[in-house]
Amino acid sequence: MKWILIIILIGTSCCFCQSISVDFNSPENIRKFADHLFCEKDYLRANFEYERLLGNDADDTLLFKIGLGYSFIRDYQNGNNNFSRITSSSIWYDDAKLQQLKLYFLLGDYKRAASIYEEEFEIKENKYSIESNKLNNFIYFFGNKTLPLKEEIIFPFNEDEKKVVSSFYDWKSNPPYKSSFTAGILSAVIPGAGKMYLGEWGDGITAFLVTGLFAFLAYDNFEADHDTRAWIFTGLGAFFYAGNIYGSVAAAQIFNARIEFEFNQSLNVYLSNKNYFTPEYEFCK
Amino acid sequence: MNFVSKLKLILVSVFIITYSQYAQTDFDAQYDFAKSLYEQEQYFDAITELKRLFFFDKSEKYIYSGNMFIGECYKQGGKFSDAIHFVTFAQINAASEKEIYDAGIEIIRLNILRRTTSQALKLIDSLESNPEFESKKSELNYWRGWAYIFSDDWENAAIEFSLIDANHELKIFSEKVDEEQYSVGFAKTISYFIPGAGQFYTGEYLSGLISLGWNVLWGYLTIEAFINDRVFDGIIIGSLLWMRFYRGNFQNAEEFALQKNLEMSNKALNYLQYQYQGLKP
Amino acid sequence: MKWEKADFRYEQPVEQTRREYSFEAGSTGEFLIKSIANAYWFFISDVDGDNCPFRPSCSTFFIESVAETNIPQGTLMFFDRFTRDMNVVKKHKHYPRVSSGYYYDPPDLYTLNENQIEYIPPSVIVEDE
Repeated sequence: MKWILIIILIGTSCCFCQSISVDFNSPENIRKFADHLFCEKDYLRANFEYERLLGNDADDTLLFKIGLGYSFIRDYQNGNNNFSRITSSSIWYDDAKLQQLKLYFLLGDYKRAASIYEEEFEIKENKYSIESNKLNNFIYFFGNKTLPLKEEIIFPFNEDEKKVVSSFYDWKSNPPYKSSFTAGILSAVIPGAGKMYLGEWGDGITAFLVTGLFAFLAYDNFEADHDTRAWIFTGLGAFFYAGNIYGSVAAAQIFNARIEFEFNQSLNVYLSNKNYFTPEYEFCK
Repeated sequence: MNFVSKLKLILVSVFIITYSQYAQTDFDAQYDFAKSLYEQEQYFDAITELKRLFFFDKSEKYIYSGNMFIGECYKQGGKFSDAIHFVTFAQINAASEKEIYDAGIEIIRLNILRRTTSQALKLIDSLESNPEFESKKSELNYWRGWAYIFSDDWENAAIEFSLIDANHELKIFSEKVDEEQYSVGFAKTISYFIPGAGQFYTGEYLSGLISLGWNVLWGYLTIEAFINDRVFDGIIIGSLLWMRFYRGNFQNAEEFALQKNLEMSNKALNYLQYQYQGLKP
Repeated sequence: MKWEKADFRYEQPVEQTRREYSFEAGSTGEFLIKSIANAYWFFISDVDGDNCPFRPSCSTFFIESVAETNIPQGTLMFFDRFTRDMNVVKKHKHYPRVSSGYYYDPPDLYTLNENQIEYIPPSVIVEDE
């Protein structure tokens, strides 16, 4: 009897110390694996697994996670497509709309962002009305829409945020642009002065020296009765002088483009640090 | 216990133990499935299936072979850094010296492909210094030769292959490439003495002639200006014109030599990739 | 979005250093300018070494400026570019670079058309054409 028991024990433990039969393609196991991939930040793979479930075991949580996954790998269009499939009866609806608002920002489509705000947050009740309001107010800083009053823009923000947003507002209402006309006139009066006005000291001094050198060479050669050379230097000097004026006007435009670029960059950095006022989701805890 | 009872007991035991061997074929089947995807060149999906296997197989039976396989998939996708990551993980989980060595060689090959030559050479030295791999010297010299080929050092590549066999096919090949290539230093040096000579050396005769012509012209005008006490003119022509074309002459000599050497190297690499029958990275 | 088998080659990438002397032109004026440019490149620029720290080079900048605007405006753009070329200080804080290390300074920035200006900060490396 004891031998029977020993053999049965050894035999069954041999069965179970190896692995048990696994159905890799059951919805439950696909889901478990997909969740694991999501938490490992292998979002593309996780999405392919979640998408396998959309036919049979689909739920809005899946669609939301797929949307999040796509937005993490910067496929904002696909992210938006999935968020837009979540129905209004879903518990994820408000989150999906906020995420869509964020993705339109990331796509640079401020017009669509504004329209989604108007349709989903301004006229309907949404648990993220404050967050969406904050994000929507940033649209004024990116686009060319007329700025409302400062109090209206900073209203939804908390005290710390108000200081930063207020500085953005001040910049937007009075950007530190430089005048192309002033740069051109300065360079016409003193070659290179226009570039120095724009902070391009090296270019300005070079323009001054080069124009000055050719002017001197022209004068010197005229004095020495070397008329041919003198006219050549005069011509070259004139071209450099005219080029310096033209270049100063162009440099002012580039300066202004740089200022605007840096402002937009600071806006994006701020929004990114704030995660675009969207919540962090704890799917992996 | 009578004879019949003992026989029944033995049969039951055999049945139970045999069945236990089949209880884990789902994982074998999953591994085989991943392999079939690899053979169909669906590398992304093969990696997915291998990761699925790892997730469900708690025995970690496939941890070495699976990670090596994932590395191979990434390699086929040209993602060498990802491949190295997984092969390194396989090496950490290797169960034998052979597995450690095989993973090590694979990492070396990936570093060669990635052109991180210094890393490849360091790893080869590390394997070589291990007394367990004393018998693998030839193989390590072989991969060292390949590392030098990929860093365009055909001379050292020839030396490494010669350590395997004095008449090794790749030794002869590397020597031939090295001999055909131009000496960049020589091209530059002769250009310092005779403007245009470096271009002639590399077969760019027209460029060499034009360069020589300009240098002769500006050199003559500079010297003539100084002789006639037109010092300012001499300085301007000498510094702005003569020096410009003189500097351009040896810059071009260097550039032509480098360019032609690169063309020769690429031709050789093309041959090695598509026509050479031996083991490649 | 799934990646596939890579067409990996052992060959090293070759920088396109050989100039292509094209005479294709839409008008007589353009043909004349291209002819002068080709002659300049062949007899002078390709022989006097690498002197321009910018891409496109000054001569190419001139051709492209004239093509985008007109001869007078293109000429002014060229003389401004030449002046900036002579500035020996602090270019790295002003211009982005191409992958081959030269400063990236396209004519689009200087046409006085603000809509054409695509500002690129100096920290960026631009793809070499």
